[in-house]
Order: sequence, then C-alpha cells, then structure tokens
Amino acid sequence: MPAKLASFQVRGRFLTVLALRIDTDSPDDPFYAQLDEQLHKTPQFFSGAPVVLDLLNVPGLSDDPDRLRHLVENLRGRDLRVFGVQNAAGLDAAALQALGLVPVSTGRDAPLPREAAPAPAPVAAAPVPPENKVIHAPVRSGQRIVAEHGDLTVIGSVASGAELVAAGNIHVYGPLRGRAIAGCHGDERAHIFCQSLSAELVAIAGLYQTSEMLEDAARNRPTHIYLEDEKLRMEVIA
Amino acid sequence: MTTEAKKDSPLGRVIVITSGKGGVGKTTSAAAISAGLAKQGFKTVVIDFDVGLRNLDMIMGCERRVVFDFINVIQGDAKLKQALIKDKRLDTLSILPTSQTRDKDALTKEGVEQILKELKAEFDYIVCDSPAGIERGAQMAMYFADEAVVVTNPEVSSVRDSDRVLGLLSSQTRRAETEGAEPIKAQVLLTRYDQERVEKGEMMTVEDVLEILAVPLLGVVPESKAVLKASNVGTPVVLDEPSAASRAYEDAVSRLTGTQVEMRIVGERRPGLFQRLFGRAS
Repeated sequence: MPAKLASFQVRGRFLTVLALRIDTDSPDDPFYAQLDEQLHKTPQFFSGAPVVLDLLNVPGLSDDPDRLRHLVENLRGRDLRVFGVQNAAGLDAAALQALGLVPVSTGRDAPLPREAAPAPAPVAAAPVPPENKVIHAPVRSGQRIVAEHGDLTVIGSVASGAELVAAGNIHVYGPLRGRAIAGCHGDERAHIFCQSLSAELVAIAGLYQTSEMLEDAARNRPTHIYLEDEKLRMEVIA
Repeated sequence: MTTEAKKDSPLGRVIVITSGKGGVGKTTSAAAISAGLAKQGFKTVVIDFDVGLRNLDMIMGCERRVVFDFINVIQGDAKLKQALIKDKRLDTLSILPTSQTRDKDALTKEGVEQILKELKAEFDYIVCDSPAGIERGAQMAMYFADEAVVVTNPEVSSVRDSDRVLGLLSSQTRRAETEGAEPIKAQVLLTRYDQERVEKGEMMTVEDVLEILAVPLLGVVPESKAVLKASNVGTPVVLDEPSAASRAYEDAVSRLTGTQVEMRIVGERRPGLFQRLFGRAS
C-alpha cells in the first residue's frame, strides 16, 4: 500500500491579541465617544487586530448576555475583531457560543510603560588591561588552553590534538602541532607566531586553514600568521 | 631465599604503568619492572587495575593461586593479606590480582587510597598496572601515583595517546590537585622498538618520540621474541633467560631506582657483516 500523507497537520501557534478592558458597568454614549476618540487617534493600532474583551472590572456585564451582545455588536461595528472574552465566569458556554466568543484563560498583562529610571551617570570606562597568559610547559594532546581576554604564550611544544584559544595573539616557542585559534572574539589584528609550523588548524578571527592547506614554504618553519584582505597569510620568519 | 632490605628503601613509592593506547606492553612492562625491582631487593607489589580483563596474574604465572582479589578487598569481603599472592621465585615480590567478573565501576577512590596506604606500610615500591584508555580504571590507577612510566610504541597513534595521558598525569591526579606538591615524575618507556625498521624509515626514531612527548626516557625495549615467550609461560621477562628485552628492562629498573645507566639500544640480533652481505641465502 502506498504511503499516504495526512491531509492536515496540527501545529501550535502563538499570537498576540489586544485586550480591551471594560471599566464601566453600563457602556453608554460617553463610553463610545471615548472609544471613538481613541480609535480615531490610533487607527493603525486597532486595524484588523484580534481583540479580547476583559470583563474583570464589570462582573455585572457578564451576568447579562443581552447587554454584552449589545456591546459586542457595537464594537464589531467599529471594526474591532472581538473574538474572545476574559474573566466572564458568569457566562455559560451556550451564551458565549451565541455571541461568537471563545472564553480565553487569563493571561498576564504586559506592564505599563513606567517612567524611565534616570539614566545612571556615565562612568568613565577605565581601559580593561588585557589578561595575558603564559604557559611554561608542553601543551598535551587533549588539553585546551584559553586566554579569554588577551594573548597566549606557550613556552614549549603544542601537541597534535591540543587546542590554544586566545582573544589576542598566540605565541608558541616550540613546535605547533595542534590547533591555534587567535582573535577568538573577532579581532582581525590578531597574529599567530610559532617556531615550527605543523598545526592541524590555524584560525584568526574565524578564518581558518587546516593542515592540508598550509603553505609548503612555511611547513616546519618559524612562521608568522596574520590576516590580510580576509585571507590568512603565512610568512616565514628569517 | 631471603633478601636483605635495601638501606635506601623509598618507603611505598607508587609507580603507575600507563599508556592510553592498548596493546603497547603495559602489563608486560609492569610485570618486568616489578620483578626487576624485587630482584634488586626492594619489597615490591604489583597491582592489576584492569578490572574485568584480568591479565597480570597470567603474565606473572600465578593465575591458579588467585582466591581473593583487589575488588574483594575494596569492598571489605577479604583482608589485604588474603588477597596478596607471594611470588614463588622472589620472596620480595607480591601480586595483587584483580577481579575478572566485575568492572571498573567497582573501583572507588577511597578504597584504592586505603589499600595503597596499607601497602605503603609494607612495601618499598607499589607498581600499578593501568588498563588501556583514559576512563575510570586508568584514572584510578594514576590518581595516587608518585611516578609514572608511560609505555609507548614508536608509532604515531601510540605517541599521541601517550601525550594525552601525560596531560592527564599533570592535571587529573592527586599530586596535580594538591597545592605545592611536586608533580608526578613521568618517564617514557619505548617498547617494541625495531632498529631495522627505524633505519628503513618505517618506525619513529627515539628522538622523534621524545621530541613530541618532551619527557625523560626511561628505556628502550627492543621488539623481541623473548617477550611473547615469557608471557606465555607466565614468567616476567627479567626472570626468564637473558635476552635483549630483559637487559633493557633491567636497565630501566636501575634508572627508576636512581642509578645512572648508559642508554643502549640493542636489537634482538644485529646481523653481522657477513650475514648482511649474503642475506638470508647464507
């Protein structure tokens, strides 16, 4: 039997609705006048937006389906797409159905915009000194050394399978056989220096080259690696 | 036979024989080194940490005498004295075999520490035969070590794994974790070294290996038929008839005890000039 695709799919959706809280028990002409004024002021805001009626403050209204119907019809007449009602415990399902409303469980109100706290007086940003790291031992396979805010210097060899990561430059006084990732926060001015280049990978500011791509001229030579025109350059030192 | 206790006994020095990679000769080396130390008069015990893959007792030729094991002692089912097996050839040598039915999870840090503490009171050297890998068994074997012998074959994957283990030795051990403690003294023991293949460029040279690992060399054990033969008859190489391998292990043991021994790298049998000229036809 050929596999048959279902002709529908069920998906969850979140949507944003406007909640209109009614604060007067008897929506009368002054109420509609205020509403019209608001609608007139911000026509884009309400245009086509789904609206939920919040009856929290008017329990009387939810006990009286006729008055509620009147309100809903008036609102819909103003092109407000009222589809649901909140805090209307007094209404039964049938009455809501008749009004074409769905009961919506209470969501939390977004907080009103408060007066912005006075901006903190600008502190003179003291220049953060770089935290450089110096490792005075061979870096073994499987080890990972990170200089989060500065340069990383290794006096010794860096084995294949080891990883050096630095925000700034990387210096290796010994053979570099592992990975060296300089300028890890995107500093394109970072450099890598090593006494003998046979790295598995070198990277500066996210641009990387693997061992296969290393320039033959630099292989096993003292090398300076830097970024120029979005390309890694390798320069044999002396 | 009684052996007089050495004057300069080191009092419970823990040496781990480790490598990362399997099949490089850890157990063979642990057997040879512990027997070598015992032969020099040091009271020595060798512990098998390879729980579940018990091999050391076979290499030592005492597999039929195992009643209680290392795990029994850790779990309090037996006393340490009951589990220790005295070697029949050397009265200074004891073996603490491991369990074949349990696994490495049975090793607890507290249990291992307690046993090592008891052994330290009685033995000069405690040799820990580590399982392959870098998981629990290997970690437990190296954690309390004072000294490490990293067994390496002259071959790239073995060297890289040894490098990884050296990294663990300098970070995941008690000496590494204790502020101000002297770091573990790690040395490389190069095994299965074949001078002929090195000359042909098929094998890494001693210099290549040391350049990568950057630790002192304890010794170079040549590839030798004597090793497999000794294993199969359950005799540590150094207690079997003399061979290039047994001499290399004895030199390594002397270096381990602090004696200066010249490094000699000898093949199993260097073909003489005539043999080389006429090859196999002669």
